[in-house]
Amino acid sequence: MTIIMLIVVITVPFIAFDVLPAIGDPESPPNSHVSDYYIEHAIDECNSPNMVTAVIVDYRAFDTMFETTVMFLAGISVVLIMANKPRRRIPSPGDFKRTRNTGGTPIYQTINKDVMISTIEPLILIYAMYVLFHGEVSLGGGFQAGALIGMTYLLDVMAVKRDKPIMNLTKFMSAAIAGLGPFIYALTGIICFIGGGLYLQYNKLPFNIHEAELHSIGITAVEIGVTIGVAGTIITILNALRERISFDDDND
Amino acid sequence: MTLILEAILLLGLIGITVAIIFGKDLMTSVVIYCAFSFITMFLYIVMGAPDVAFTEAVIGVISTVFFIIILRSVNRKTK
Repeated sequence: MTIIMLIVVITVPFIAFDVLPAIGDPESPPNSHVSDYYIEHAIDECNSPNMVTAVIVDYRAFDTMFETTVMFLAGISVVLIMANKPRRRIPSPGDFKRTRNTGGTPIYQTINKDVMISTIEPLILIYAMYVLFHGEVSLGGGFQAGALIGMTYLLDVMAVKRDKPIMNLTKFMSAAIAGLGPFIYALTGIICFIGGGLYLQYNKLPFNIHEAELHSIGITAVEIGVTIGVAGTIITILNALRERISFDDDND
Repeated sequence: MTLILEAILLLGLIGITVAIIFGKDLMTSVVIYCAFSFITMFLYIVMGAPDVAFTEAVIGVISTVFFIIILRSVNRKTK
């Protein structure tokens, strides 16, 4: 059985290399039907210089909305799994033979926390804001900005040892924040109904400005929703893990 | 040139995967997994997808930290 699996794993890629088209081949099937339409019409229809953003949050806005919902559900399911108190006592880290770490100091002693709090975390947050609001112009977007904000919280928790964190978020509060993201996304779609458009049809937003600006506002609102959803999900998973596993108890 | 670069990166991916599987210490495996996502990031850049590479860079760091936190509750040494 193992030998058959090995033969399949080794031979299938070699066959697939011959069948698959080369990267960037303009004659290949994925590049010849729908991509041409996107390349020709993305700037006129979506007013977004970044074609990736135009495809993700304009042509395939439904897709991105349910991706955000899936992120939220992942955070919720981690909370539900980790909140379950098992009747049998789970083995704590002290039950195993401890491998004493003699090779270094804990992370909150190796990192200068003044530098971390005053310099590195604000820089990451500023970069997250840049990535979020320039999403329709340059690379990046809501998902990356949310991940950067979540990483700031994670660095803050890991690098600084303190009994009360600055933002005292419980796992349920952060799960509520994560749920706010898909809500903002869906609300943007519903507001488009007021102007007489379809769901997530940004140029029918009920404001009296140019169509290009309506598109920009719609894309930014949707990306803010994605950012809040992703950041809330990462903080939710981190908080749920921290309640079960104490990693400030000893010095390794 | 691009083909050689891709070949080097892909061979590095295979080597790193083998190192992850046969690592004796789970912490070593997690840290090498971080290198895995780093090389994947370079592959995305070579293939012309900087958006995906950016996401991979951020998510690689976050998932590594999650793995390290979870490692506190399991036995680090493998058989």
